[in-house]
Amino acid sequence: MWVRLATAAMGTRFELVLAGRDAAHARAAGEAALELIQEFDARYSRFRTDSVLARIHREAGAAALRVDPQTFQLLARCLELRAATGGAFDVAVGAPMDRLRAGLAAQFPGRGGSFELDAGASSVRLASADTRLDLGGIGKGLALDQAVQLLRELGVRSALLHGGTSSVIAFGLPPQPANLVAPVCMGEAHEPGYGVSLGPCFDGACVNLAGGALSVSAALAQGQGQGCAHVLDPRSGRALNHDLRAAVCADSAADADAWSTALLVLAAARPRVSLRRLLAGASLPPGFQCLLQSHAGAAPRAFRTTSTPSASLAR
Amino acid sequence: MNPTNRRDFLLAGSAGLAATWLAPALKRLQPSFQGSKLSLGLISAGRQGRAMLGELATIPGCSVDAVCDSDDSRLQAALRRASGAKGFANAKEMLAAASGLQAVVIATPTHLHKELVLESLAAKKHVYCETPLAHTLEDNAAIAAAARATTQICAGGFQGRSNPVYALARSFFKAGTLRELAALRAQNSKKTSWRTAGSTPEREAELNWHLDPKLSLGLLGELGTQQFDVFHWFLGRHPRSVRARGSLRLHKDGREIPDCVSAQLVFEDGLELDYSCTLANSFEGRFEVLAGEMAAIKLAWTHGWMFKEADAPTQGWEVYANRQQFHDEKGITLIADATKLAAQGKLQEGVGLPFTSLYYALADFVAAAAAGKPAACSLGEAARTTAVGILAQRALREGGEVAIDPQLLAEL
Repeated sequence: MWVRLATAAMGTRFELVLAGRDAAHARAAGEAALELIQEFDARYSRFRTDSVLARIHREAGAAALRVDPQTFQLLARCLELRAATGGAFDVAVGAPMDRLRAGLAAQFPGRGGSFELDAGASSVRLASADTRLDLGGIGKGLALDQAVQLLRELGVRSALLHGGTSSVIAFGLPPQPANLVAPVCMGEAHEPGYGVSLGPCFDGACVNLAGGALSVSAALAQGQGQGCAHVLDPRSGRALNHDLRAAVCADSAADADAWSTALLVLAAARPRVSLRRLLAGASLPPGFQCLLQSHAGAAPRAFRTTSTPSASLAR
Repeated sequence: MNPTNRRDFLLAGSAGLAATWLAPALKRLQPSFQGSKLSLGLISAGRQGRAMLGELATIPGCSVDAVCDSDDSRLQAALRRASGAKGFANAKEMLAAASGLQAVVIATPTHLHKELVLESLAAKKHVYCETPLAHTLEDNAAIAAAARATTQICAGGFQGRSNPVYALARSFFKAGTLRELAALRAQNSKKTSWRTAGSTPEREAELNWHLDPKLSLGLLGELGTQQFDVFHWFLGRHPRSVRARGSLRLHKDGREIPDCVSAQLVFEDGLELDYSCTLANSFEGRFEVLAGEMAAIKLAWTHGWMFKEADAPTQGWEVYANRQQFHDEKGITLIADATKLAAQGKLQEGVGLPFTSLYYALADFVAAAAAGKPAACSLGEAARTTAVGILAQRALREGGEVAIDPQLLAEL
């Protein structure tokens, strides 16, 4: 039995379709997944006064703050991704991102801060008083990964989940008839799995998800008919004023999210370099594949690792 | 003095005036802890238990050293959140093996509370028990009696009593700001099946005890009591009767428990608390309102507001107070620890609590157990509100009005 549920979280709409043993089980499992996403939002929101992130920010530049093991692991993962991307993805860019969003620094919002973790004390310490963490580039993926793990534990056979359509993850086979998920999956599946079209961008590319995740990022947000930068290079502190779009597949939604942002940053810094050279030496996540489009209408460039992917990108 | 400085000065000064008035009941936003860490055991690692673990991990005065749950996957998930804690299959094993534990937190289904409270107190542990305390008046009375007979610190999980915003609002209320009370209102609206998914049908049936009318107090008891207790605490008294009705509007999946309920709790002087709870629509969520002759207070757990009548006397500090628009009304935001924040020029940052309501309830228990002082919500108080919840559910089941015997509550 299939159900479709949605909730508002992280400033966007999360939606899922899933198959359960029966309607009651499917709905209860879906609600549990959505509740987990809302809890994640409440715990790591930059806008709530009672979030874990707000507590960490209140101690910025002062004492190390003891955090729960889940938060500690999440922040450790963020540090790993910063290292894996050579600093192209960094969650410690909260302060310059705030300046960028507020339109206070369209070209050079500045570099972010840094933070340290102490595994023995299960604590985090932000290096300076103005350091702020921003999980905006990875939060949806982290929450979707946790939601999928929960759904599997609850006996769900198949599901597709997305956050604001830019972060998508799926496992199992889609329902028949396939049009049940048509508003979510707008493309044709070429293989068993959930077919997701990337729309007019990326030259009509289609992603087939069967146990993997997809994340799509663009350097310029579309507002008032004119693109404005909403990604910055954490290494230089410069805003990305390039019309770049990236689509990344990986086994985990968090990896896909982080790498879709990192890819924009890497490509903006070295625009004439091939994807293979751009990613040479990088510690790429399992199932990594990507498409990069340098401007609207341009032919997207593709790259994939040699490992067996859980998602397939087709053009 | 430039205009900005003058304004800041007035802000600090006026907030200080307000705080002087409120100081006796104002709680600190961050409870303080002294001495060594309290060693805690958690009984049951379900949804509520896991939420508690998240909060307990950040409370400096305690250490979760043991967790028990009969479901191994839930136990393992909990142990990942409580590094260093030992896992047990049941509470008996935990209480016998983990002799160093000083306190337990009970987060099991309601109908299992009595036995666990009694066993924990017999093992000389301080006890925090989730609410409602029990699903029958007999179990409820047994818990209250055990709490009276022990020297251990006992706390019930009604969270309003340790919430700093609620404490601040209560101090306004006690100071007579509302004058004559006209009406009490509360609601809890959410869109959920209230059903828990399990890995197998058998496990699912066990997890959905709250949909079983023989074990569950339904929406009025399981959810409503958390809000009933706010009014009991503010008013310092309990209702004399309760009327209730309900219907199944959305979740027609074979359950007997209504998904939409309403109740009127009637106090001795005719004052009524109108309560509604639905699982079919989430509009406006959960809140409580106390409306009086001169002002109304609206409380929503992390936030609180006061709406003054035009003919209410104005306090000097109100001119500079933070306000929030609600349709065609403006509410004064209730900010706990306003004096301190105003002195730091951070009054705006005080809008909304820095911790969850659950954190404050658990932190209060930890501090009370460590200091050997009574908790904000005693098991006696929790038992009285639980009794009201049990009788409200009876009124819903019987479809009429049920009297609440003051003697029954007095004996708890």
